[in-house]
Amino acid sequence: MIKKSLTLFATLGAIAGFVVTSPAVAQERSVKIAGFGAKSGVVRVFGINSEAALKAALEQINNAGGVTLGDGAKGKIALEYYDDRCNAEEGISVVRRIASTEAIIAVGPTCSNVAESLFGILQKKVGDSSDSGLQFPIIADVAAKGGLAKISEWAFRNVPSEFEMYKSLFAWVKTQYPDLKTIYGGVEKDFAHSNATFGVIKAQAEASGLQLLGQGEWLLNDTTFSTQVREMKRANPDVVAISAHPFTTCGVLKEMQRQGVKPKLLIGLTSSSSIETLQGCGVQAEGIVIPTSFAPVTPEAVKAAELVAKFGGSADLHSAAAYEIGFILKNVIESQKVMGKPDTVAADREKMRAGLAALKETDGLLGKVGRTADREAIKPFLFVHAKDSAWKVLHKPGS
Amino acid sequence: MDFYLGLAQIVGVHTLLGLSAYCVLLTGQVSLAQAGFFAIGAYVGAMLTVLAGWHIVPAIIAASLVAGATACAVGFPALRVKGLMLVVATLAFGEAVRLFFFNFDYQVAKGDVKIGPAGGEGFRQIRFFPEHGWSTLDVLIFIWLFVALVMGGLWWMDRSRAGAVLRAVGEDEVAAQSAGINVTAVKVAAMTVGGLIAGLGGGIFAHYTAHIEHAQFGVALATFAIAYPILGGLSSVFGTLIAVVFVQGFLVEGLRFLGDWRNLLFGGLILFAMNVRPRGLIDAATIAAVKRIWTRNREPGNARTQGAE
Repeated sequence: MIKKSLTLFATLGAIAGFVVTSPAVAQERSVKIAGFGAKSGVVRVFGINSEAALKAALEQINNAGGVTLGDGAKGKIALEYYDDRCNAEEGISVVRRIASTEAIIAVGPTCSNVAESLFGILQKKVGDSSDSGLQFPIIADVAAKGGLAKISEWAFRNVPSEFEMYKSLFAWVKTQYPDLKTIYGGVEKDFAHSNATFGVIKAQAEASGLQLLGQGEWLLNDTTFSTQVREMKRANPDVVAISAHPFTTCGVLKEMQRQGVKPKLLIGLTSSSSIETLQGCGVQAEGIVIPTSFAPVTPEAVKAAELVAKFGGSADLHSAAAYEIGFILKNVIESQKVMGKPDTVAADREKMRAGLAALKETDGLLGKVGRTADREAIKPFLFVHAKDSAWKVLHKPGS
Repeated sequence: MDFYLGLAQIVGVHTLLGLSAYCVLLTGQVSLAQAGFFAIGAYVGAMLTVLAGWHIVPAIIAASLVAGATACAVGFPALRVKGLMLVVATLAFGEAVRLFFFNFDYQVAKGDVKIGPAGGEGFRQIRFFPEHGWSTLDVLIFIWLFVALVMGGLWWMDRSRAGAVLRAVGEDEVAAQSAGINVTAVKVAAMTVGGLIAGLGGGIFAHYTAHIEHAQFGVALATFAIAYPILGGLSSVFGTLIAVVFVQGFLVEGLRFLGDWRNLLFGGLILFAMNVRPRGLIDAATIAAVKRIWTRNREPGNARTQGAE
């Protein structure tokens, strides 16, 4: 019996020794990154899609051999995704939690109100010893409210410039529909992104010569829109522009159908060029025109959409940004010679920040993406419209 | 470690919010206006540090006073109604405050950027703590100094005549009135103290989150404010603290990994807690039991005391 036990121990010891000293295993390292966003609540779809897109991108990278680390070893990128419920307090808490792990960068958040607070608690200027803000790099994939990255030098974004998108859209409308003279706006007033973007839409519409007849306002959790649509009907505008997320956009479109409001042109918020709008109100959304930085119009974009779907998400302009970020991070990890060791976490975070700040251009699913000095992206975009419950490309600016 | 310190900061701020409702609940009134006072404190405190360049201590004291004065002013008309009508009246006040800040635009140019409240887009860059080099621990100590002060004050008040008067009004208004207590004055005083505490908490909250906007001060926050003391129990100020730890520490942070299920469990666990402990997590019986054990252990001849000797 004793002899048998000794043999068993010896065998187990030999296996353990082999595993520990195996060069393949010793060199297998993982670079930890974190993602966070709303995975519960009204806008949970943003977090679900972003997580799926990040996983899809990282699977591509890891299956192709992973990343080359600073000492020449190969490593895999490991992702952990957290839910912040689109709540600023929870977002701060989540990032503090992430910063206490070995994650070298965080991708998120999905909500602009969370980004406002988060970027506010980061150190404003790198190297400013008088500023005790958190020194942790964050790159946003979804939070779309304009000008957020300038809050901190540790903050980056890979979101499109809605100012450029709507400027281009209304210039195009002016040439394509010269007979349209009036516009009526609708805005989901309590959501930072839709509210801020409505300001952009309004300004660009007026700049293109459209006369604003009025605006209806509602909240993210609203479910009835009869009063706002009645006002819209009374104004009888040529164009209706709705700056709202899919949930209330669908509510308004259904109410417009019920009250027989049929403008000559419908314009929507970037975030509504998603599958949720088509699933929620594909019929009512027929014809709505939206500028977006994603559509499956290139082989890379088609492949990305398929991979994101495999992970239970849907590729849209937000999750496509997360997908692109996966590859941006791979390049930065390699160019900055990130080590991916527990004792180099702080140095690796600084390398990631410096690497992202140094980028002048990245590869996007629709083409090259420019980077600005204030850490924002200049993404190619196009106009899509809802046709037969699908998003079809209507126009590609510059083509 | 920073994460736990940050979590303790959240617990501190929410404890102040809960204690503001605790004062009012002692008089038997259910107020949903606490989120409004909290918002006033947040905006006033932030404006004083960001726009006027004040130090945070006078800024949050001023924020507290403004919120307290508002609560006093609101208290007189609002407390003429009782029960459900008071809930509606205070809810309406809270929403009015939220909508005021939703439309409140007061930005001034500082260099090449504009700072200050910007209506629906909120008030960004409230960065007193990092700009003055405060570490997470410094902020934590700062917050908990105020929490300790407020809890100590309320604990002392609970044991004084003032506490007895508040509870008397809460138990039976008619009996209290017949005993010569000016019920309106007591209710308004409780509302004012609640406003002072909420304003203090709001002022700290603004600097903790670095960005505030109207949506943060809605009905959900007002509900949390009264849920903390009710869940924790009105027998002791410590009940509110226990409830905040339970909600923020366990339900919000501890169950984060559950994703969407967390929201479902959140409500379910509160329901469960209220069923198991209908008079709160710390009720009078619990306090009496703790006192009994404490007294027994300190009696001469007690086994544990002898062991210690």
